[in-house]
Amino acid sequence: MNGTIEGGWGYVMAAYGITWFAWAGYALSLWLRNRKESP
Amino acid sequence: MTLARWTLLLGASGLLILGVGHGIGLMSTPAEASMGETGRILYLHVPTAWVAMLAFTAAFIAAIGSLWTGGARWDLSMESGIEVGMVFSVLICIQGPIWAYPTQNYWWTWDPRLTTTAIMVVAFTGVLVMRRLIHQHERRMAATAVATIVSWVNVPVVYFSVEWWDSVHQDLSQVSSVDKVMLVPLLVSLAGTSLLGAAFFLARYRIALGHYQREEVAPELPDLPAQLELEDSP
Repeated sequence: MNGTIEGGWGYVMAAYGITWFAWAGYALSLWLRNRKESP
Repeated sequence: MTLARWTLLLGASGLLILGVGHGIGLMSTPAEASMGETGRILYLHVPTAWVAMLAFTAAFIAAIGSLWTGGARWDLSMESGIEVGMVFSVLICIQGPIWAYPTQNYWWTWDPRLTTTAIMVVAFTGVLVMRRLIHQHERRMAATAVATIVSWVNVPVVYFSVEWWDSVHQDLSQVSSVDKVMLVPLLVSLAGTSLLGAAFFLARYRIALGHYQREEVAPELPDLPAQLELEDSP
């Protein structure tokens, strides 16, 4: 044991995946709302 | 250049730079000495927190501008800044526990940094709720500008909380405290996330502007007291 946390890729992928998914979702919501508000 | 083109330009360049930053951080940077692979969340978490605070600070400046000038564009900028800040701050509240659990063995603790962040999220949620509840434009602008200024007072407290109090959270990240190998993906991700945040802000501002222009043409909905007054009058 050398004091380094072993593994952890699942947590890394979860953090990145959720964030990119949320950004994509927010971008989609902005696009849909923009279409609705455009004259 | 139009607002729509600026939004596209900032969004596309932000995504490109962010892709490079995250790519370097995930694939070519070595694992962190003590946190191992989980240390790679740094390139995601720090830029997200930075943009959240930047967006709330933009909303704070816009709130002062709106109270000072009474201009609608300041008010719309404030609304846009708060919404973008909320998206990014909710994300830091998700990323943080995902990082904390494998490294510190808990998802959440009422540590000063986490507590002040939670207060920040709740306070700005309150401002957005206020904007939904007040229909009369001038009243909404003044009331939510004051609420934004009051809510923003907590933002520097969030930032300095790890210096002011004992905290289990990592200390303030400074250029000198990060290894050069990790600094490159961190700064590239910071630039990309900032550009993406700016694109979100402009896109949200366009929506707010369109809504405002439509609202100006259509008669405004009366507030509840005014409605009651009308009903009571003979």
